[in-house]
Amino acid sequence: MKKQKILDRLMGIVFRITATISIASVILILVFIVINSIPALREIGIFQFITGKTWAPTDTPASFGLLPMILGSIYVTAGAILIGVPLGLFTAIFMARFCPPKLYKFLKPLIDLLAGIPSIVYGFFGLVFIVPLVRTVLGGTGNSILTASILLGIMILPTIIGLSEAAIRAVPQSYYEGALSLGATHERAVFTLLLPAAKSGIFASVILGIGRAIGETMAVVMVAGNQARVPTGILNGVRTMTSSIVIEMGYAADLHRGALIASGLVLFVFILILNIAFSLLNTRKGA
Amino acid sequence: MKKVILFLVIASLILVGFVGCGGNKDTALTLEDLKDITVVSRENGSGTRGAFIELTGVEEKGADGAKVDKTTAEAIIANKTDVVIQQITGNQSAIGYISAGSLNDTVKAVQIDGVEPTSENIKAGTYALARPFFIAVKDTNNAAANDFIGFILSAEGQAVASESYIAVNSDAAKFTSQMPEGKIVVAGSSSVTPLMEKLKEAYAEINPKLTIEIQQSDSTAGITAVSEGTCDIGMASRALKDTEIAKGLTPTEIAKDGIAVIVNTKNPLTTMTKDQLADIYKGELKTWTDLK
Repeated sequence: MKKQKILDRLMGIVFRITATISIASVILILVFIVINSIPALREIGIFQFITGKTWAPTDTPASFGLLPMILGSIYVTAGAILIGVPLGLFTAIFMARFCPPKLYKFLKPLIDLLAGIPSIVYGFFGLVFIVPLVRTVLGGTGNSILTASILLGIMILPTIIGLSEAAIRAVPQSYYEGALSLGATHERAVFTLLLPAAKSGIFASVILGIGRAIGETMAVVMVAGNQARVPTGILNGVRTMTSSIVIEMGYAADLHRGALIASGLVLFVFILILNIAFSLLNTRKGA
Repeated sequence: MKKVILFLVIASLILVGFVGCGGNKDTALTLEDLKDITVVSRENGSGTRGAFIELTGVEEKGADGAKVDKTTAEAIIANKTDVVIQQITGNQSAIGYISAGSLNDTVKAVQIDGVEPTSENIKAGTYALARPFFIAVKDTNNAAANDFIGFILSAEGQAVASESYIAVNSDAAKFTSQMPEGKIVVAGSSSVTPLMEKLKEAYAEINPKLTIEIQQSDSTAGITAVSEGTCDIGMASRALKDTEIAKGLTPTEIAKDGIAVIVNTKNPLTTMTKDQLADIYKGELKTWTDLK
């Protein structure tokens, strides 16, 4: 009995430590980003930094305008959601409610495999396959918002399919049976009853998909063209905030480096807003 | 079973279709076929880009010391040499630039002002786009590092450099090693690294007791590392900035490298002037027919 108590106490401490470590790392990252971006932000001016349209870090005098990259991240992420969410959601519905078990055994590992492919491999696939495809079919250089959106749309599929499928499966079987007993067809029961019931899980999958899309770097760098200017069309090339950091960080010094870290801060704020919006959405529904 | 056979038939048809298309594309193209020029550049801060814009005049310098990189905002930015090559091989209308040492058969090098970027031409100084390779040390009394640097600047070391780059000192003295022992770390530019690896091998034949570790990153990282004392010799594919020399570094030029302008192998163009090249990268020259 006593031994049990000591063990309980001990494990309590262990858990507390692990929780502290994970929270501390988030806070440390935030502190690092903020401290390192403040001097740059002060020198450039926050307003000028966020709304400036010219990014010319190696010019003398240099200009640091993040607007093209902010818009780039938003456009590419929105495109990925437009492509990935319908595709992923319908796949999830199929997997959960329409798929014959034999086929499921085959499909499920394939989708899991999709999640395991390293992003640089996705990028290479995009560069040698999607880029020429977009160029021949739609014109332009092929390195465009559209190309990056298609690639990211594919990359967020496993997240959306996996979580949405789990959410649909988590709806009690009695809902479905009740619908059938009231005369609904299989399709009607799934689309008008199971889907709304699984709504919050599906939203969660979309938010995580957005998170993955906005944070993805290596694949996007290879296909997006990376031009640091405000894009004017869907076939224009684009540079996201993450690409900008990874492309230039290796060379950056002094103010340039500070400006790149400050773009990290902007990205951090974006994700924070996203998460807050998501939790607000959830609590309102719960109330 | 029938389905499997049908699938195989369709799959092989698709395959043949692809191969067929690939075959058709091999016919010679004219400049008219290429239409708009797709400009591929490196990222801001890359040593190759820095050298390129300076050598071509894409970077405009004002009297007040202002420097503006005029590279067109429409240029695709590739952050590695391989990605530049991949962009060029995949796009008939693309133009890009890489270190002449990285040239291979998948792309075609264009002559600048009628001069091919061969190592002979770069050595002779006739090729317009060439850049220096620098090393830098902080501690000038490090015997081991000095011995290796002595080797690099000697007749033997410069002979190694001149295999694929231009030697900076063609009548250097023969090398006699002080045979130091221990280990030195050389870090920096990925453009200089291939040369440094060759120098290291050649030096090891003379003095195998000194271990030389080469860390590949980039010019700025290498210079920062040597000024902070985390490596003994820094490598840079550009001249050192004044702020870097002010940290107490001693730079030495060890070789010169050429920058090759590359186009798709189906591109019929063989030569262009340096001014045309600058105009393409400034976005003033937009179509391939403008080059006629």
